[in-house]
Amino acid sequence: MVELLDNASQFLVTLIAGVGAGILYYRSRRQEYFLLACFFATFSLGTLYWTLHVLLFFQTPQIFYVADLGWFASFLFLLTLQYALSTPGERAFKHSAMWLIPVVCVPQLVLYLTHGDILYNLLLCGMTMLAARYSVRGLLYARRQRGKQRDRQYFHIAVLLIIALEYGLWTTSCFWAGETLANPYFWIDFLLTASLFSLLPATRKAVGA
Amino acid sequence: MTYIENIFVCIAAPLIVTALCMGRKHYRVFFFCLAGMTACLLSAYINTFFARLYNADLINATTQIAPVVEEIMKLLPLLFYLLIFEPKPEKIDTAVLIVAASFATFENICYLTQNGASQLSFLLIRGFGTGAMHIICGAVVGYGLVYVWPRGWLRIAGTAGLLSAAIIFHAVYNLLIAYGGPVQYIAYALPVLTIVIRIGAGRLLRTEPQA
Repeated sequence: MVELLDNASQFLVTLIAGVGAGILYYRSRRQEYFLLACFFATFSLGTLYWTLHVLLFFQTPQIFYVADLGWFASFLFLLTLQYALSTPGERAFKHSAMWLIPVVCVPQLVLYLTHGDILYNLLLCGMTMLAARYSVRGLLYARRQRGKQRDRQYFHIAVLLIIALEYGLWTTSCFWAGETLANPYFWIDFLLTASLFSLLPATRKAVGA
Repeated sequence: MTYIENIFVCIAAPLIVTALCMGRKHYRVFFFCLAGMTACLLSAYINTFFARLYNADLINATTQIAPVVEEIMKLLPLLFYLLIFEPKPEKIDTAVLIVAASFATFENICYLTQNGASQLSFLLIRGFGTGAMHIICGAVVGYGLVYVWPRGWLRIAGTAGLLSAAIIFHAVYNLLIAYGGPVQYIAYALPVLTIVIRIGAGRLLRTEPQA
């Protein structure tokens, strides 16, 4: 029941955020909103399949990667969005803090490789690490700017939060503590749902910067 | 046991002869027709392989393995066409729809061989349900590729997004059918719902995104 509530709420929130991003795109025709709408659309599609499977068969999909492909595509859209929002100055910016990402993520990747599929984990963790690296770079660069340019930091904070929570989610799923609210997995997933929605206002601020 | 490769030979042979008679100008149509049927044939083998590998039962194979394998197999001849021949956008959607239609037709022929053709009402539902679903998945990918492929910044993420959308649509359809009961009627309505969404999305995608 908790799992169903968790997944259904995530589907609804990402669907609403996707519609919101679609409306923003319809009004402004900005490429960034188009990519954001695609991010939410693919993410919510993956969650829809997952939720329906839990609802109809009382268990999560165990065999193959249907929902995961949707989430995988959503992270590709997120990477493209990050690139679309970055400036040439930001792309050339370097900082030693960017090395924190592999230091934090690689040990967790090793854990996932011992628990799950090698290729899938390598691809997904590689992509999320890249997105986190771009976000750290973008955050540090935006905090050195003045005026409206500084507003881009909120977008990068939202992306970092999403990726940190995704890693927390995957790590807690390796130590499954049952389908109760005592399981930290569900709390992290509820937080992830909120942070996913926060990407909509954060992107709006970044586009306006 | 169904000898689908024998069925394939039987269906493909007249098509090949017709293609040779009609000449080079019409090769493209027959090529995609045969590509769709070949994709269906290979999907059957790969589905069986993965079902054995993961020890999947019929429901898991239908709802999790088949959508991924079939949609990827349908996309492969199109990716070959897009990457090698770099066609004009108006030729892409025709190619995708021919692949999808021939895939669905060959699948239906194999289904009829296996289960017989005595129940017309059920076959009508199967024809308009599963057949339409394959066409819709093809249309999602086809019209999507027409939009995505000329835009370099969207090509990788867009193709992955379209493929995942088609796979999930197919999987949700199979999931609802596998559950049975009144729920499966929602599945039969899905292709129509998708057409409505497509019309709505068409309004959104009419103009170019501004960087």
